[in-house]
Amino acid sequence: MDQSTNRPMHRPITRRALAKLCVAAIPAAMSLPAAVANVAISQPAPDFSLPARGGKALSLAQYRGQVVMLNFWATWCGPCRQEMPLLDAMYKKYKGLGFTLIGVNVEPDSDAAEAFLKKVPVSFPIAFDRDSQISKLYNVQGMPSSVIIDRKGKARIVHKGYKPGDENKYLDHIRALVRE
Amino acid sequence: MRILSLTAFLLINASLAGCAPIEPWVKPYEREKLADPIMAMERDPVSTSYIDHVFELREGARGGMGSAGGGCGCN
Repeated sequence: MDQSTNRPMHRPITRRALAKLCVAAIPAAMSLPAAVANVAISQPAPDFSLPARGGKALSLAQYRGQVVMLNFWATWCGPCRQEMPLLDAMYKKYKGLGFTLIGVNVEPDSDAAEAFLKKVPVSFPIAFDRDSQISKLYNVQGMPSSVIIDRKGKARIVHKGYKPGDENKYLDHIRALVRE
Repeated sequence: MRILSLTAFLLINASLAGCAPIEPWVKPYEREKLADPIMAMERDPVSTSYIDHVFELREGARGGMGSAGGGCGCN
């Protein structure tokens, strides 16, 4: 080994140095994003009123007592388009048990949504959030996002994104909440 | 020595804070124009991953490119 370099002896890590390391790790830990797709929460779902398809306005309060699934979607989002027929099937199946699905379209211009709905008709109510107020209110973190609200008006499940197979997860949550 | 460790501590803290979420962040519901096919980074993902792989071998450095789509055989 090279004997000419004057290297100091290794000192053990002192407690002060360890504390400094831990403090330095705080900004790293805070910047890590939560990568979970399905989150269970229990927060009161904020009420809102939006223009709906067919002309009438739609508000969340009118569905109090039913399990409501808010699905934030857009025509430019592939997975949203993919899950629409599946959501329609889900709505038809559980409508009689007190379940409602509200599709909140987040596009500023509703023409694309209307054209899509002519090609892929759905039977659940569609609301138009043209100025993104409700998306901000619900802190939408991904497209599509689904918020499942229980009969008492509390948001219980937030599901971000859609992969084939997620409709089964939706069904599990809905079945659990419909039984409450 | 103490000043050196203090400087190092401050530098690490500042560089790690660079991993914080970028502001202003384009909200997921505002990404209509970004979702347009013309805004895609590559025209064809398969051929892009192939040529990215060729660049990786030429430069002797990997990563930093968004190539997805494997099947080149561990090289």
